[in-house]
Amino acid sequence: MLSRIAESLYWIGRYAERAEGTARILDVHVHGMLQDPWVDQEEACRSLLKVMGVTTDATQVSTLQVVSLLGLEQASPSSVVGALAAARENARGARETISTEMWECLNATWLGLPAARIRIEQQGMHAFFGWVRERCSLLNGLTEATMSRDDGWLFLMLGRSIERADMTARLLSTHADAGGSIQSWLSLLRSCGAWETFLRTYRGALTDRHAAEFLLLDRLFPRSAFAALSAAESCLDELEQATGPRAGVATDAHRIIGRARTDLEFRGVDELLSNLSSVLSTVERACSRANTAITGRYFRATAAVTWAVA
Amino acid sequence: MNQGWRMRITHRTWFQYDGKAATSYNEARMSPRSEGRQSVLDARVEIQPAAWLYKYEDYWGSVVTAFDLQEAHESLTVVASALVETMPSAPVTPDGPSWNDLENEDRWHEYLLPTPRTALDEELTALALEIKGAHDGPQAAALAACELVQSEVEYQPGSTGVQTDAVHAWRQRSGVCQDISHLVVGLLRGMGTPAKYVSGYMHPHPDGPVGEDVAGQSHAWVEWWSGTGWTGYDPTNGAPIQPRHVAVGRGREYGDVPPLKGVYSGPPSANQGVEVRITRLR
Amino acid sequence: MADLFEDYRLGPGWDEMFAEPAVPRPSYETLYATLQALSSADLGLRSEVLQRAFLDQGITFALKGVERPFPLDIVPRVITAAEWAHVEAGVAQRIQALEMFLADVYGPATVLSDGIVPRRVVVTSAHFHREAAGINPANGVRIHVAGVDLIRDEQGAFRVLEDNVRTPSGVSYVIENRRAISHVLPEVLASTRIRPVDSYPAQLLAALRAAAPAGVSDPTVVVLTPGVHNSAYFEHTLLAREMGVELVEGRDLLCAANEVSMRTTAGEKRVDVIYRRIDDDFLDPVHFRADSMIGVAGLLNAARCGKVTIANAVGNGVADDKLLYTYVPDLIRYYLAQEPILPNVTAYRLEDNPDVLEYALGRMDSLVFKPVDGSGGAGIVIGSRASEEVLEKLRARITVDPRGWIAQEEVALSMVPTLIGNRLRGRHVDLRPFAVNDGVAVKVLPGGLTRVALPEGELVVNSSQGGGSKDTWVLAEATDPSEPSPQHPRGAAIPQPRKPDPGPGTGEVVAQQQQQQQQTVGEAPC
Repeated sequence: MLSRIAESLYWIGRYAERAEGTARILDVHVHGMLQDPWVDQEEACRSLLKVMGVTTDATQVSTLQVVSLLGLEQASPSSVVGALAAARENARGARETISTEMWECLNATWLGLPAARIRIEQQGMHAFFGWVRERCSLLNGLTEATMSRDDGWLFLMLGRSIERADMTARLLSTHADAGGSIQSWLSLLRSCGAWETFLRTYRGALTDRHAAEFLLLDRLFPRSAFAALSAAESCLDELEQATGPRAGVATDAHRIIGRARTDLEFRGVDELLSNLSSVLSTVERACSRANTAITGRYFRATAAVTWAVA
Repeated sequence: MNQGWRMRITHRTWFQYDGKAATSYNEARMSPRSEGRQSVLDARVEIQPAAWLYKYEDYWGSVVTAFDLQEAHESLTVVASALVETMPSAPVTPDGPSWNDLENEDRWHEYLLPTPRTALDEELTALALEIKGAHDGPQAAALAACELVQSEVEYQPGSTGVQTDAVHAWRQRSGVCQDISHLVVGLLRGMGTPAKYVSGYMHPHPDGPVGEDVAGQSHAWVEWWSGTGWTGYDPTNGAPIQPRHVAVGRGREYGDVPPLKGVYSGPPSANQGVEVRITRLR
Repeated sequence: MADLFEDYRLGPGWDEMFAEPAVPRPSYETLYATLQALSSADLGLRSEVLQRAFLDQGITFALKGVERPFPLDIVPRVITAAEWAHVEAGVAQRIQALEMFLADVYGPATVLSDGIVPRRVVVTSAHFHREAAGINPANGVRIHVAGVDLIRDEQGAFRVLEDNVRTPSGVSYVIENRRAISHVLPEVLASTRIRPVDSYPAQLLAALRAAAPAGVSDPTVVVLTPGVHNSAYFEHTLLAREMGVELVEGRDLLCAANEVSMRTTAGEKRVDVIYRRIDDDFLDPVHFRADSMIGVAGLLNAARCGKVTIANAVGNGVADDKLLYTYVPDLIRYYLAQEPILPNVTAYRLEDNPDVLEYALGRMDSLVFKPVDGSGGAGIVIGSRASEEVLEKLRARITVDPRGWIAQEEVALSMVPTLIGNRLRGRHVDLRPFAVNDGVAVKVLPGGLTRVALPEGELVVNSSQGGGSKDTWVLAEATDPSEPSPQHPRGAAIPQPRKPDPGPGTGEVVAQQQQQQQQTVGEAPC
């Protein structure tokens, strides 16, 4: 498949997942601010911005500002609105490859963004974040239902999985930064949509150990860091299947992701918990390095050339 | 006695880049063809670094050697060499058909149109019409135009560049063979005489010593249609075409027959040069 | 309720629906009956659904950098089978003649030496690309796709307004308009036999494959687009998608040693046929604009060498120059020894002789002046609508550059009812049928793009001038053997379909399944 198209699909996967993940994180954050009258708003907001990799020069940070920076900032591909627009822009350049339904979904979402702002004013943030989750779920469903399981699919899944691992790591960082209370585990699990599954798995016992194990290592829950990294790994494996090497793995990206995955897998929960921050930043770094490796391996030379007259 | 010459011509062009050029696409128009007064025994183009060559004949009848380089390279050298036998042309006299024979000549319309380098300004247009009015036929008027340009415009290497147009050269009253030819072509078209720009090579000495390797040059001259045939003339030297001239390409102007043109991606070229060596063999 | 047609006026120009007030022509009877039964609110609602669908699907064109939908009017235009047969034959004839003309001017040029077309017309054309001389397309086709703009004059006769043989656009709207209209006017579609238009991508692909370089048995075809910012980008994606081929940008292609390939995740893959939607000037920086960042360096020589086919061919613009247009009837006689089936609009060549120029400048207020190199309706001056000042300026420009202009008699274009506000009003239309040449025959897509000028009385119907479009219905012959209806062959037994499996707790079948399950459980492990 065309390198340029592969790149677009990869980024559709990443941006859509980012929009959803960020919306989930913000929803929980806003909810937490409202629920807990004793929380230090300023501190919590700063911590969230830091974890999401956004810098601000404002001396005072309010929840409203956080939502506007991470949720509504059009120019930033890290915000919910920006990521949705970027996903649509990538889809626009790959329109003949994705199904009409996927394109219509992304395009209609993009067209709906202005109306979504009005929704915030009328119905509050929660309605907006709900809408974003719904649109992303719709996209995922349409992708699932209409896309052939060819290389294009693999690139899209690869992007989604890498972003998901990154998002989960960031989400856990907010917990570590907030001092790791039980209350914050609760909201964390909620924001992943994992609360009920978690309760069923551990029969209601919410402890640090269980929560960390679930979000980092669970094999069956798709948003755990382990599951997301494994999914990315299997995409990378399938991409090279035709020419797979006899020893080891074929690509740097695969090596990076594989190491990050085993690093989680073969450490005990206690060890992970005692060193949570550094574990999480290792996962984040692995995602970013894998991104570079994937770009170098599959998306090279897709920039236009400027010609000089000899 | 055989008045013809045999010459070996080596035309070397090089570019040295300020770093590495990634890719490069080029066309060389450096190979003479056998025609009326010249026959080509051998003509070849060689490229360094090595490249796959593709030859074709373009709209104007020039032999084009196209090539592209896909590997990063720091320099590019093009060497065109040719072995050519030439004959003198018939003497050029002011006699010939009258202006009436040029009328309604749709066949050569392309050679009547101004091009970027041959377009005239008001002054030159008036001059062309004045020359036309003063002569009975296109042949006499053409010779007068050549004479005028030769006497007014000083041959001065380095005074112009490949992009210079006729008007500019006229205003500064100096130029090289290319400018003088553009000026003459422009004036001829201005008086309704179809005219071509000819690019080629010239041995520097009218009676070149046999066996001596000398520095030659790329050269340019003109041809015009006088109603019955094309007449070649070298306005820079004020003389008809001689055995020391070797024609390579004909067109409306320089832009139709550039020796080397192309595009590349990479840093600007820090150093470039051209060298023509000619040896008269016979 | 007849309120939709309240105060509907006929003319100026041929009204395609009505021969006289409130009496529709036979071809429009079904449509008229349906529309009459609708209230303006009903129609307005359906029209809104229509516009919304276009916006959601991103069926847009970019005007001055803003993406906007190409307004689709809800009232279709109907063309009878007999009228269409005439148009089809006329368009095919014209394309054949232009094909032969292009092969001639980029080759032996006998048409010039025989004096049919003066050489000056060709050599002064901005689109006569000498770089294309010597490129001989594999199956002889240069005009793989053409769009011929037609109008109907005051008597209802079709006339050719201009030819488009470079990269004519608009066919995607033909396909999408039909899809959209079938959703909002299902009742009329159901009761009318309309020839389908969705076979176009398959036809185009067949023609492109037929144009592949010699010796390539299974050619790789791509669509080359300037990118997402091009006004016709939507069309490029639609065609690539429906043909099942890659949509590439210049940066995806690579030309080495005259072979063209595309960069894929699995290395480079050879490309044989390029359906390009990039103008000649930007196609190859080696021969044309060196500052082009959307082209492919080396492409032209790859085509010259016969390793790749560029469709449409480079240099076709010399055949749709508006000055050459005036010679097309002569070309048809010269190459095909036939009389033109579709006449031109009466036109004057201003550079021919001073008398014609004087004549045309003497009656500027009744003529239409067109720049010969313009496209998309840009620069057209309609004498009767222009101010004295504009005409004076134009007169000065034409006097200096008579080669740059042609004059045409003003024709009151035919009209079709169009939803304006909440009433139907007559608006001027033109028609661009699309033809595909596969080297064996020129096939004309039954339908074509009808463009409608939305402002009252407006005669320029171009989309870049803020026009809209209509779905164009070509009625099928009562018995048209060429398009069999999709019925099962007689006699073939169709198995009785089974009911879908029900879920648990819905009765008899379920009990059986449970039984089976128990049985399975009950079996002894072996």
